[in-house]
Amino acid sequence: MRNTSKRHLLPGFGISMGFTMVYLSLIVLIPISVLFLKASTLSLSDFWQTVSDERVIASFKVTFSSSLIAALVNTVFGTLIAWVLVRYHFWGKRVVDALVDLPFALPTAVAGIALTAIYAPNGWIGQFFEPLGIKIAFSQLGITIALIFIGLPFVVRSVQPVLQDFDAQYEEAASTLGANSFQIFMKIILPAITPALLTGFALAFARALGEYGSVVFISGNMPMKTEIVPLLIITKLEQFDYAGAAAIATVMLLISFLLLFLINFWQWKQAKKHRAVKGV
Amino acid sequence: MSAKKYEERNEKSREGRRSHLLRKWMLIGVALTFLGLFIFLPLIVVFSEATSKGFELYLLALTEPDALSAIKLTLITAAIAVPLNTVFGVLAAWAIAKFEFKGKNILITLIDIPFAVSPVIAGLVFVLLFGSQGLLGPFLEANNIKVIFGIPGIVLATVFITFPFVVRELIPIMQEQGTDEEEAALTLGANGWQMFFRVTLPNIKWGLLYGMILCNARAMGEFGAVSVVSGHIRGLTNTLPLHVEILYNEYNFTAAFAVASLLALLALVTLVIKSFVEWRSEKLRSE
Amino acid sequence: MGISINGVSKKFHSFQAVDQINLTIPTGDFVALLGPSGSGKTTLLRLIAGLELPNSGQILFNDLDYTNKNVKERKVGFVFQHYALFKHMTIFENIAFGLKVRPRKFRPSKQEIKKKVYELLELVQLKEVANRYPSQLSGGQRQRIALARALAVDPEVLLLDEPFGALDAKVRQELRIWLRELHQKMNITTIFVTHDQEEALEMADTIVVMNQGKVEQIGTPQQVYDRPKNAFVYSFLGRVNEFRGEALGTVKDGCHLSDNYVGYLRPHEVHLSTIASDNSLPVEVFHVHSVGASVRIEIKRLDNDTLIEAELSADEYRRIGPFYKGDRLYANCDSIVVFQHQHILEDSLPKTVASTI
Repeated sequence: MRNTSKRHLLPGFGISMGFTMVYLSLIVLIPISVLFLKASTLSLSDFWQTVSDERVIASFKVTFSSSLIAALVNTVFGTLIAWVLVRYHFWGKRVVDALVDLPFALPTAVAGIALTAIYAPNGWIGQFFEPLGIKIAFSQLGITIALIFIGLPFVVRSVQPVLQDFDAQYEEAASTLGANSFQIFMKIILPAITPALLTGFALAFARALGEYGSVVFISGNMPMKTEIVPLLIITKLEQFDYAGAAAIATVMLLISFLLLFLINFWQWKQAKKHRAVKGV
Repeated sequence: MSAKKYEERNEKSREGRRSHLLRKWMLIGVALTFLGLFIFLPLIVVFSEATSKGFELYLLALTEPDALSAIKLTLITAAIAVPLNTVFGVLAAWAIAKFEFKGKNILITLIDIPFAVSPVIAGLVFVLLFGSQGLLGPFLEANNIKVIFGIPGIVLATVFITFPFVVRELIPIMQEQGTDEEEAALTLGANGWQMFFRVTLPNIKWGLLYGMILCNARAMGEFGAVSVVSGHIRGLTNTLPLHVEILYNEYNFTAAFAVASLLALLALVTLVIKSFVEWRSEKLRSE
Repeated sequence: MGISINGVSKKFHSFQAVDQINLTIPTGDFVALLGPSGSGKTTLLRLIAGLELPNSGQILFNDLDYTNKNVKERKVGFVFQHYALFKHMTIFENIAFGLKVRPRKFRPSKQEIKKKVYELLELVQLKEVANRYPSQLSGGQRQRIALARALAVDPEVLLLDEPFGALDAKVRQELRIWLRELHQKMNITTIFVTHDQEEALEMADTIVVMNQGKVEQIGTPQQVYDRPKNAFVYSFLGRVNEFRGEALGTVKDGCHLSDNYVGYLRPHEVHLSTIASDNSLPVEVFHVHSVGASVRIEIKRLDNDTLIEAELSADEYRRIGPFYKGDRLYANCDSIVVFQHQHILEDSLPKTVASTI
C-alpha cells in the first residue's frame, strides 16, 4: 500500500527522467526512426521487390535457419552446462563458470578469426574433417558454430539462477513418492526451468539473427549460400543503395522488436506470477 | 539446492553412489567438451597463433604506428562512451527504480532496443542520419563536419551499442534496495546530493562497477556497428577490432592474431573483475 | 512540539489510505496510532513526517502550516520499521550522519560530533558497538541504534513505524519499558504506529484507534478500553466473545433477532458460578487453561452449543474451582455491550459505565 506513491518525495525525479528521455531520444529513438523514414521513401511495390529479391530471401533463410539451430543446440547444452555448474563440485569449476561469459566479453571479430582458424579446412579441427569431405568453415555449418559461440551464455545465465534457487524439497518429495531420476527431471525440474529456458532461447536466437562480427569471417560470404542478412545490408550500403539497405534493415528490425517485446512481456509476466506466489 | 547438498544426498547408498558418480562424470565430461570446443579453444587459438612466429614479431605487430593509432582511437571511444552511458545509467535507474510512473515497462523496453538491434543496423541508422546521402548530410557537408567515416560516427555508434549496459545492471539492484535508506537520510536532514553520494552511491557501487566494465568491454570490442560507420581509413578511423579485420583480410594472420590477443586479454581482465565483483556482492549479501 | 492535523486525506490510485482525519497532539504527548493493517496508520505517520504529501487537508506544527514543507525542513526523527540503517557505514557513522550533513556553518566540530554520538550510544546502552556494522547487530540492537540516529538531530517530534514489529517477544517487552522510560526522560512528542493493542495500551498516553483510513476513537488507554465508542474499537482492543442473532437474544432481552445487533463481552466479564441465578446461562466446561496469574476457561453453552471464553484470576479460580471438562456451571453475561450498526446501544450498558460516557 505504501509503495504505490513515492512520487516527488525523493528528490531528482524531474532531472533524471528528463535526462533519460532526452538521451534516449537522441541516441536511440531518433536514429531508429530515421531508418523507418528512409524505408518509407520506397513505394510499397519497390519495398516488396527489394525484400523479396531472390538473394535477400536466400540470406534470410540462411540467417534464420542457422540462428534457430544454434539457439536449439544452446538450449540443450546450455541447460546441461548450467546443471553441471550448479549441481556438481569439480576442480576448476570457478574458472569454467567465469569463462562461460567469454562470448559476452570477447570482441566478435576476435571470436570470428579464432573460430575460422579452428574450423577452416587447414585449421586445428577442420583438417580432420576435410578428408571426410566435411567442410565446416565457409559453409552454413561454420555460421551455426559461430552463432553457438555467441548465444551460449544467454541460456546458461538464464537457467543457472533458477536451478540454484530450486528447492530440493520438491525433488525429495518426488523421490519419496517413488519417482526415478529421469522422471524427477522431466516432471519436476524441467517444468520449473521452462520459463528460463524459453527466455534463454529467445535471447540467444535474437542475438544470433543480428550477429555480424563472428560470422563474417567464418561464413565465406557466398551469395545465395552463406550470405547472412547483416552482410547483405552492408553490401547494399557499399553500393550506395541506402533505400534498399533500409528496407532490409526494417524487416530485420521489426522481427527484433517483436522478439524483444515477447521476451520482456514474458519476463514481466513471470515476475508477476512469482510475486503472486510469494504473496507480495 | 547447493552442489554439496545434492551430492551428499546422492551418495547415501553405495548403489546410488556408483550410478551417481557415473552420471556426474558423464555430464561433466559432455559439458566440458562442449565448452572446450566452442569457448575455450578459440581463446587458446588466439594466443597460440599470435605468438606462433615468435615474440618479436608479436611485439612488432602491436607497436607499429597503425596499431598504436588503433589502440588510441579505441581508448578515446571508450573514454567517451563509458562515462556518458554511466551518467545516463545512474539517472535512468534512479527514475525507474525509485519512482512509480505510467509507462515504466515501455520505457524499460525502449532502453533495451540497442540489445535487440543488429550492430550492422545500428551503424546503418547513423549513416542514414549523417552520411553524405543522409538526412543531415547536406548540412554537415556545408559546414565541413565529418561524422560518418570519422571519429564522431564511431563514438556515436559505440554509444548506441553500449547504451543499456549500466542501466540494466543498476535497475534490479536499486529496486531491491527500496527507498528506506534514502528516506532515512532525508529525515536526518540530508539534501539531495548528500543523500545520493553518501547513501545511494555506496549501496550500488559494485553493480555500477560491473555495468561499467561490461560497457567498456563492449565499447572497445564493438565491430559491426563501427565497421559500417568508420570507412576503414588506416591510421585514422580504425579501432582495434577493425584493425584486426584489415590485417586478417591482408592475410597477415600473425599480426591479426597479435592485435586480437590484446582484445582477448581485455576480455579476460573483464571476466576476472566481473568474477571479483560477483564474489564481493555475494559476500555482502550473505552477511 | 504540538501537531494538528486538519481534514487530511491521502489516496493511492483508487485506494483511500487516509480519509479526512482530524487529530490534535499536544507537546510531549506519547501517542499510539493503533489499527489493523491497511487502516492507514503508517500512511498517517508518513504524512506527518513529510514522506507522503496529502491530497487535501493541513498539517500544523506548533500552529504553523507545515503541509508543504519537505522532509528535511520538518526536523522530525523517524524510525523505520526495518530500521533503514545505512549498511555501508559503521554504527558511529550512522548516528553521526545527521550531524555531518548539516551545512558547514551549523555543523558541529569533529569533537562535538564524537561527544554527541557517544552520549547517544550511552543513552541506548550500546557503547561497545560503535565501530561495528549494522549487519553485525541483533534486531533489538539495530532498533536502538535507529532510535539513537533519529535522536542525534535533536528532533522535536519522534515518529516510529511499528518499532517492535520485527522483534521477538522477550526483546519487545524489554524495549517497550525502555522506550517508555526514555520518553519520560526526554519528553519529546512521540508518535508510534502499532497493530498490537497490548503494546498501545501499555505504552501510550493517548491511543488513536484507526480503521479503513478513519479515526475511530481517540483517548487514554483507559478510555478506549473501558468505554469503546463502537463495535470496532471494542473488538479490536482485547479479547472478546461475540454474540449475534439467537445467541445474543437469549442473553439480552429485547435485542431483536437481527443481524444489525452484535454483542461483545470480554472474557473477564463472564461471571461463573456453580449455582444458577437470574439471567445466568447453563454451560459445560470444555477446556481449562490454568497457567499464570489468570485462568482461561472455555465453556460450551448448553442451549446452542456455542463456545464462550471466560477468564478469572487464579485466586478466584481457587475459591470457586477447580473445574474439569464436563462440569456443569452457570455463566452470568450481564456485562454484555450491544451495538447496533456499529454504534453502542446506551441502554445496553451496565449502569455504572453508561453514566460516565
